Parts: sequence; structure tokens; C-alpha cells
Amino acid sequence: MSRALRLLLAAAGRTGGALVLLMGASFVIYITIRSAPGDAIDAISPMGTPPQVKARLLAEFGLDRDPLTGYFAWLFRSARGDFGDSLVVAAGESVMAVAWPAFKITLILSGLTLLASLALALLGALVLGRPAGRQQLLTGPLYVITSAPSFVQAVLLAQGLNWTIHRYWEQLNYETPPWYPIPIYTDSLMPYVFAGLALLLGDGLFMDFFNAIRAELEGLRDAQFIAAVKAKGARTWGHIARNMLVPLVSGYAARLPIVLGGVVIVEYIFTLEGAGYLLLEASRERDFPVVVGISVLFTATVIGSTLIADVLRTLVDPREVARGG
Amino acid sequence: MSRLLDVRDLVIEFDTRHGRKRVVDGVSFHLERGEVLGILGESGSGKTMSTLAVLGLVGGRPGVVQGQVLFDEGAGPQDLLADLGRVVKPRGDRLVKNDRRWQRLVHRTMRPLWGRAMTAVFQNPRHSLDPLMTIGAQVEESVRLAQPELDRAGRAGRAVEWLARVQMNDPKRVHSSYAHELSGGMCQRAMIAVALARAPMLLIADEPTTGLDTTVRAEIVALFRELLADRRRSMLYISHDIREVLFLADRIIVMRHGKVVETVAVADLKAGVGERHPYTASLLAAADLAFEAAA
Amino acid sequence: MGGRAERIAFWGSGAIVALVIAIGLVSPLIGYDPAAAVDYEQKLLGPGAGHWLGTDAQGRDVAMRLMKGTEAFFLPGLMAAGIATMAGALLGAIAGYAEGWGRTLVVGFLQLVDTLPRLIFIILVCTILNPSITLIAGVAGVLFIPSIATVIRRKVEALGSEDYILAHVAHGFSTTRILLYHILWLQARPLLIRQATYVFGYVLFVETALSYLGDYGVQEPTPSWGNMVAQTRELGGASAWPWVFPAVAIAVTIAAFLAFGNLLARRDEEAIR
Repeated sequence: MSRALRLLLAAAGRTGGALVLLMGASFVIYITIRSAPGDAIDAISPMGTPPQVKARLLAEFGLDRDPLTGYFAWLFRSARGDFGDSLVVAAGESVMAVAWPAFKITLILSGLTLLASLALALLGALVLGRPAGRQQLLTGPLYVITSAPSFVQAVLLAQGLNWTIHRYWEQLNYETPPWYPIPIYTDSLMPYVFAGLALLLGDGLFMDFFNAIRAELEGLRDAQFIAAVKAKGARTWGHIARNMLVPLVSGYAARLPIVLGGVVIVEYIFTLEGAGYLLLEASRERDFPVVVGISVLFTATVIGSTLIADVLRTLVDPREVARGG
Repeated sequence: MSRLLDVRDLVIEFDTRHGRKRVVDGVSFHLERGEVLGILGESGSGKTMSTLAVLGLVGGRPGVVQGQVLFDEGAGPQDLLADLGRVVKPRGDRLVKNDRRWQRLVHRTMRPLWGRAMTAVFQNPRHSLDPLMTIGAQVEESVRLAQPELDRAGRAGRAVEWLARVQMNDPKRVHSSYAHELSGGMCQRAMIAVALARAPMLLIADEPTTGLDTTVRAEIVALFRELLADRRRSMLYISHDIREVLFLADRIIVMRHGKVVETVAVADLKAGVGERHPYTASLLAAADLAFEAAA
Repeated sequence: MGGRAERIAFWGSGAIVALVIAIGLVSPLIGYDPAAAVDYEQKLLGPGAGHWLGTDAQGRDVAMRLMKGTEAFFLPGLMAAGIATMAGALLGAIAGYAEGWGRTLVVGFLQLVDTLPRLIFIILVCTILNPSITLIAGVAGVLFIPSIATVIRRKVEALGSEDYILAHVAHGFSTTRILLYHILWLQARPLLIRQATYVFGYVLFVETALSYLGDYGVQEPTPSWGNMVAQTRELGGASAWPWVFPAVAIAVTIAAFLAFGNLLARRDEEAIR
């Protein structure tokens, strides 16, 4: 078999595996819905829902059938992107029409934040090199600061900014600057930057990433084949970059769920109209189709990013195909 | 012209959790042009560390390196460790290997020498090759550095030639293979091709047969002997196996506990001329026993 | 490795962990009635002799509420850490050791749970069930099973081919004994310590986050570090005392637990070697 064909097969296999996982995860979500105590339809509909809407919900989630056929009916509808209509937060509109634009914001915010985290961690690892005694004066405090949850970082950031503005701008009769964090101005980028900063500084993400990248880099620098490359007089950076690619992308994919967890509350604090904010609003209003739709989107993102990392590994690392991945 | 390599009073120490440990303790040896010098010793005798110091690849662990490594490409001897005194912070009268600064410094001294003047073949051939690149690409990397004038097809041709010269059965197939697809012996042949494609003055072979099957070991040693038959390059051959060293080397130094216990010409050793150090004698006796058992 | 800085970090984080555990154990013994604590004459005081950490908008003592707030996460956190490490170690050992359909089933389950984004799934569960913190911690514990099982599985697989484990097998030790004692207890202990403190930290995060949001989690007037931080919304910058201490407490406690878990595990690893 040619190498290209084997690669293609391996990639197809991984994609199939990811689809199975997504099906399994959606089944877990569906079973969670069904496990609601008492009459499931009352648990998942807002107060005072009219009977005809209840009947529609009943049919949409297949609650009138047994769990398995109900699941497949729901899965079939969801697979076409039809998650039903929103009940409260954007009453009457289809869930995807509401959730997708919001989700794009969330995806860009968390994706870019994680990318910034990766870049900073890589830079730090390249500059600092091997762990040494004196570095701990820097990495120690950084560890303490960045292990705080991102929502605490967001609160401290927002309050700190408010205080600063209150103290210096308003007392000097300046106009409120456009990046005034609370309340937000949706046409400004600044709140997003602050949200990104809170995510970057929180949840133990950065130091975890930094330590992982540093360990990978140092392991590679000590690797015998790098010594061999040096001994033959060639430049090592190309070899190091190639061998770092997979760990970096896998590390990125592995940490995306952490950021997607943090972004929910950070969006809420900075009132950014992303999927996290929408999820909390919908959850509060018991707008069930929206909650489920967004949960599936988040889950699909996690699975998708892992899939991308896996496929890339298959493409870059010849040993993966040999392992029969 | 002077000697190709002259190592004088080399000391290497590492800082461990149990204090500073001296792994090389005042080692001196030299190498003439076209000569094969065998370094014999058991593991932990400091033989590998001594040669890694010649290569500037001792690594970033904290510790101390001291002494002289004089290397002469033809324009007079150059002390490879001399530069360290200028930049590395002296502690007492010694040089402290301080991680990154040490590495940067060594790289500055060694980069013009690596490959062209001296290169190495290590133990664990599987780990000596980049796992993500084909064998061919890695040989071609050497070919390009040695012969920058060649075009792509020319480089590929040279690479296949080199793979054939190290007696690969199917050089074309090996050219497009990855390290994990080859046996340990084939990986070591590939490594030798990578090293020799640079046409170095000095080849350092650091226990190149460790971990290989007995028959494969014999093949690799025979390959070295054949490749060095024209006496155009010198070799430092490090091994714990006295039979390999006797087969390949012109002269032998025997190391133990970080010190050189004996320097002797192989011809004298074979002829039984002079008194042997007890340790060398015991190594010889053990080898004789093995020979007798095989006979 | 590390030397002095690491020793300082170890004992420093250890002291904070010990303090939190001590408060968590003692706090339930002390009676506290949030309604009786209200005293509008004493509201928004700064730290002082009467109230060490000041008072909030209703004149309640912040130090007292900070102490009682540990109850919201202490036992649930221990429970989640227990669930996650025990089930994780067991399933990880099965996934690493067993063969055939048992292994496939366990590996499939682990992969499935691992794909669920934790906080989003917890919010989904909250929307449906409106559960207590204990139940949320239980869900969090289950969600952490795969990450623990994965490290244990790798350890078991790596050790399975080690000579001394094979020697144990050859000596006729039972599989259960080898798995539970020689692999899980002697070899995987540092991993379990690290993961257990991580799960505890995560439960602290989830509890404070949900209590901060206010819909689920601990509701006023019962104190939680999370709903104390949430007072920023009503105060609007009038005073920082009621929320800044709980915010710092959250950050410092999580950092201390993670650091202590890591450093303790590293010491243990060095002792094993």
C-alpha cells in the first residue's frame, strides 16, 4: 500500500472514531435530559409554557418514545443542524440562528487566547531554557497568580479597572473612555481583550502549558539525534521545530476544554454576547433547546480539535501510521 | 604538522544531589593523523565523557570542565576549551559549566568544526536518527553541507551511493524509509553514512555496537575497518569490548575510574611486549578465555 | 532539584493546605446564624479590631463568613477527589491490565466521559436537576475519572513489561496484589496525590463559580467564597473589603492545593526512585 493511501485511511479512521465519540457524547447529553426527575417535560420547559409548545418540545426531544428511538430521532434532527426553536432568550428563532453567531465569538475569543498562551509559553521556554534556581523567583509567583480561576481574574481585572477609571478619569472630568469595562460598549474590542487577558491569566492554564512545552523542548534538546545532528554540523532548529509541531498542536487541543470552561463565566462577567453568556442566560430562563444546542456545539468543538491534532500527528509522524492508528 | 588531537589533563565533574562527582580525572591522550585510537574501559570509566568533551557535547548539566583539547586542522593547534576561560565565570581556577552560556560558547567554537573536522557515531543507533525524517533526507542533509554545489537529484544520488557504501542491501528502499522501519544494525549503518558523507577528518565512534546482535556487531566493526582502510581519516573508537578494539585500533588507551591506566600500541599488545597494567591484563585474559571458548 | 526555593514553596503551600483543612474540620462545630449576624450599624467597615477582615453591606463579619464558606466546598471536594481517584485508579488499572471486551468497554466509557466539556456539562446538569453542591461535586468527580484513569493506565502498561513486575508474576504473586500494591500503591501514589489535589481544586472552582453566578450553587444568606465575591455587583465599587478577601482566598487556596499536590508528589517520586 502506498504511504499516501495509508495516511488517507488512517485519517478516515480517526474521523470515523471522532464521529462515534460525538454520537456517544450526544447520547450522554440526551440521557441526562431523560434523567430529569418527575415528568421530564416539566423539568425542561420554562414556567408557564403553553401546552402546544410543551407538545412540540416533547416531540423534538423524542420524550414520548422510549430512550433509544427517541435518541435517534433527536440525533437525526440535530445532525441536520436543527436543534428546535428558542423558547425564551430569542423566542421563536431557531436555536442555531441564535447560538451559532454567539458561538463564533466564543470560539475566536478562546482560540486566540489559547494561541497567545501557547506563543507566550513557547517564548518563555525558549528564553528561560532549563529550570534553574533563580528562575523560580519568576515562575513561582507566576504559578500562584495564574492558578486562580479565570472568573476571579476577571472580577479583579474589572474591579481594578473600574476603580482606576473612577479614581483618575472621572475625577478629572474626562469622558468615559471607550474601553470602560462595565457596562460594556459592544462596538469596542477592549472588553474582549480584557476577557482574553483574564482567561490567559487564569485556570492554571499558562504555567501548565509553559511547563509542558519546556519539558518537551528540553527533552528534545537532550535527545541523542539532536546531538547527532550537531555532530554532523547541521543546524538543529529545523529538526527541533519539526519535532515540536505535534506536541504543540496536541497540547493546544488538550487545553481547549479548559479555556472553553473558563470563557463561559468570563463572558458573563464582561457581558460579552458569546455562547457562554447565552448558555448561562438560557440556563437561567430554562430555555432548554438553546442549552442543549450550545452544549452539543461545545462538545463537538472539543472532539473536533482533538481530531485535527490526531490527523496532524498522523501526517507528521510516520510512526503513527505504522502503529495502525 | 602536529598531532591531530591532543587532550591534556581533562577533568569533568558533575553536580549531583550527593555533591560534585568527578567522572573524568586528569585524562591525557593524543591522536596522530590517519591513526585509529581505541579507548577501552567499562561503563562509568569516563571514556564516553572524555570523547563528548572533545566534541563539545558534554551537555548542560551543571558541573566543571577543565583542561586542554588541542585540535589541529592543519593551521596549527587550536584549544577547543580555550574560549571557555574568557566568557564562562571562573569559580576558583576552574570553569563552571553554566548551562546555556556554556552551550552557546561551545557552539560558537564547535560549529565550524562539527561535521567537517570531526563528527560522531553514537550508541543507540535508533535514537540517533530524527524519527520524523526519512533516512535519505538525513544523509542528504550531510551531503548538502559537504557538497553544496550539488543539485537536488545529485544529492539524492550521492545519498544512495553512501547508503550502498555502508553495505545496505537495498539502498533505494532505505533512502525512503524511516528509522523505526529499520533494524538497529541498519540504523547504525545509516548513521555511519550520515557521518561519513560529511567527509570528516576525525570520526568518533562511541560504542557503536552496543545493543546490537553479535553477528551484526561483527559486520559493523568490519565495515569500519573497510571504510578506514585508506588511512585518510582518523578515528577514536570507544568500546568496552577488547576484541573490537584490538581488531580496529593502532593504539589503545585503557581507562578506569576516570583515569587512563595504560597507553599501548596494539602491535606490542599482540606481541606481548612489555609489562601490562593488571587491569589490562585481566581484560586480555577475559578476552582470551572467550576466544578459547569459541575455538 | 529545586533546592531552597522548592522547600519554601512546599512548606508554604503545605501550611495553607493545613490551615484550610483545619478550618474545614472545625467550622461545622461553630454555630452561625446568617440572619442574626446582620447589623446595619456596622456595615462596610474596614479591617479592624472588632472585625478582622471588615464587614459586608449587611454588617456581617467577613472573617466569620470566610471561615463558614469553607463548608461549601470542603466535604464535596474531598468526596469528588475520592470518587475520581478511586474509580480512576480502578478503571485505569483495568484498562491497562485487562484484555478483550472488558477493556474495550472501560476504554470506551473513559473516552466518552473525557469528551464532555466539564463546566458546560455541569451547567447542563444544573439546568435539568437544579442540584445541590454535593451532587455537582459528584458529577465533577465522575468527569475527572478519565484523566486519572489515563495516567494510571499508562503507568500500568509501562510497568507491565518491567522486569521486576514480571518477576513478581513469576514468583506467583496474585494479579490483584501486584496491581493494587506494587503498581497502584507503590508506583502510582505520586500520580494519585497530584490528581486528587487537582480535583479538589476544581471542585473549589466549580462551587465558587456557580455560587458567584448565583443561579445554582450556594445561595445567600448561606456564605460561600463565590457568593461573597458576587457582592461586587451590589456594591458597585463602594467598598472592596467584602469581596477582595474571598477572591484572594479562592486564588491562594487553589494555588496552594495544586502546588502542594505537585511538590508532595515530586518528593514521593524521589523517595520511590
